[in-house]
Amino acid sequence: MKVITAYCNLRADRCLVNGEVVAERDPASEDSWFKQIYKKHALAYPKFYKMDVLSQAGYLASELIKKANPGLVDAYADDEIALIFANATSSAETDRRFKQSYEEAGTPSPSLFVYTLPNIVLGEIAIANKWYGENMFAVLPKFAPGFYLDYGQILSSSGSRALLCGWLEVTATGTDVFLFMVEERETGPAFSHDNLLQLSQAREAAAI
Amino acid sequence: MDSLKEDLKKQIIEQLNLEDLTVADIADDALLFNDQGLGLDSIDALELIVLLEKYHGIQLVNPEEGKEAFKSVDTMAAYIRKRKAA
Amino acid sequence: MGVSITGIGVVSAIGMSVEENLRSLRESKSGIGPLHYLQGTKASRAGEVKASNDDLRRALGVSTEYVSRTSLLGLQAAREAWGDNKRSGVIRTGLISATSVGGMDRSEVFYKDYLSQNKPDYQLLTTHDSGSTTERIARELGITGYINTLSTACSSGANAIMLGARLILQGTLDRVLVGGTDALSGFTIDGFRSLMIYDEQWCRPFDESRAGLNLGEGAGFLLLEGEKSLELTGNVPVCQVSGWANAADAYHQTASSPDGKGATLAIENAIRRAGIGLGDISYVNAHGTGTKNNDHSESVALKNVFGDHIPPFSSTKAFTGHTLAAAGAIEAVFSVLAIQQNLIYPNLNYQTPIAETGLAPVAQLNTAVPVNAVLSNSFGFGGNNSSLVFTRYE
Repeated sequence: MKVITAYCNLRADRCLVNGEVVAERDPASEDSWFKQIYKKHALAYPKFYKMDVLSQAGYLASELIKKANPGLVDAYADDEIALIFANATSSAETDRRFKQSYEEAGTPSPSLFVYTLPNIVLGEIAIANKWYGENMFAVLPKFAPGFYLDYGQILSSSGSRALLCGWLEVTATGTDVFLFMVEERETGPAFSHDNLLQLSQAREAAAI
Repeated sequence: MDSLKEDLKKQIIEQLNLEDLTVADIADDALLFNDQGLGLDSIDALELIVLLEKYHGIQLVNPEEGKEAFKSVDTMAAYIRKRKAA
Repeated sequence: MGVSITGIGVVSAIGMSVEENLRSLRESKSGIGPLHYLQGTKASRAGEVKASNDDLRRALGVSTEYVSRTSLLGLQAAREAWGDNKRSGVIRTGLISATSVGGMDRSEVFYKDYLSQNKPDYQLLTTHDSGSTTERIARELGITGYINTLSTACSSGANAIMLGARLILQGTLDRVLVGGTDALSGFTIDGFRSLMIYDEQWCRPFDESRAGLNLGEGAGFLLLEGEKSLELTGNVPVCQVSGWANAADAYHQTASSPDGKGATLAIENAIRRAGIGLGDISYVNAHGTGTKNNDHSESVALKNVFGDHIPPFSSTKAFTGHTLAAAGAIEAVFSVLAIQQNLIYPNLNYQTPIAETGLAPVAQLNTAVPVNAVLSNSFGFGGNNSSLVFTRYE
């Protein structure tokens, strides 16, 4: 059966992996919240610094899931892990910044423009891992377990053996990121509507 | 301390939106386009062209010239000095 | 097993309907030229739809001014594809639309007024969200069952078709209107110019002298129906979508890999899914944007897959411009027409093959060969590569 084998909740001041707090925001730090997580977990990927906030969030959550679950991805060929992501506001935060670069500063910024698409985060994760599997990004009014369940079923019947799914809202007013890994297992929390809703809201050491 | 190089580092951070980096994180001879250095890519090269024009009034039309000039902060400073002296 | 297509609709720089687009394609008439409706951009030319927002609203009977050009174009094509089909309580119906800019055209109007404090109209912002364009189209057509907006850059339109076909085969939906829409905006024109891949001349896909793309705008929609829906509607399929695949290129945020890895995977897997042989592909409607990078990478991918036996191929981007999220859907409509009418479209502006790959696209309209299967490629930023295969309905 399909089981949620790992998940990460990244919010405005806390980051949890499988229900355990792995980072807490230090309000006194000069570093951004995402950089604090990057440093704390000693990640080494200089491209991180250039990414927009959506890509940073996706990269961090995917790396933390891998870190907490060694061997998780080694079991798969490079085109067997599919990425299914969604959010509500597309790339609005970066769109706003790009627009500012040409309306106010007068010079459209090429490096901002490349992030004015929500699916670039999928590209960044694919690049970081050299994954060639399917990837899809949808814009939905709110987190909808049905979207992942439907699409997950479709992908499993067409060659993908594992899914990395994500809901990524990173705006000026809030951070709500939930990434989860779905694999074939005998036991564990089922890839189901109720479990997704529950885990997306996970606070601490969620009992599942 | 070479003030042109310090300025360049600030400008690179500003222009490439590397808000998470500080001047101290960039060594003068760090390879800008190498993954062990700053890991910049072709899009950043476009940003560096914008930077040269915006802050130093230098137009770079031949991208090949950029490849040499944009190796490190050292080579960028040398390139700017050469162009200004010409 | 494929999925039946029973309706098609398209609006682009070369026409407001399927019929008008077909005529322009037959006559090798491009829609790329100076901009008339979008003001204040630096682009010397683009593939603009030859109608103002007021024209579109009047023709569509949309009274509110709070509607984006993206929605209007989408609605125009969606209505044509939907035809006189009726809502139904028993046919589970969905709408999947793709867009990359959403209501950016309206937001730009707002933003200028906001910056100059010239009475900005905050209500314009309600049309900004990508999802709002889809919801608008759904509302106008009365589709309520399943509504989804995809945003995967320039492959979005193809991905909407792929998802629709899969949801029908999976049994989640009985019929689904799928497609994509994008309007021109200063946002995208400035953006592509900043990447130095916007050609101020007329774009020249697959030509050695190519120097970038021209943006375009428009929308394409297709009505897909499963067997249950066909029984109830009595609609006659015009074509089938029988192959689809998506793969990551895992190379760069915007550039395609020099070895065409993602594109190669997408093409191979789509043809395999269609259950036909490489030799059965009659025509390839290429992504062919006219950028140095895409056309080279796509040529390499075609060679990887087909070796020395590359089918006749062409890009129609020199007709329409690159319509971003609409491109895959508009070109899907062109692919259906190629099969229906036995046409292979010319790749306008081609003179000299790309030195490294040496491939020659079809340069003249070909009406002399049967076209039974068409491969359509759509490759997007983020390394999101999709291919579709359309086959004659038998």
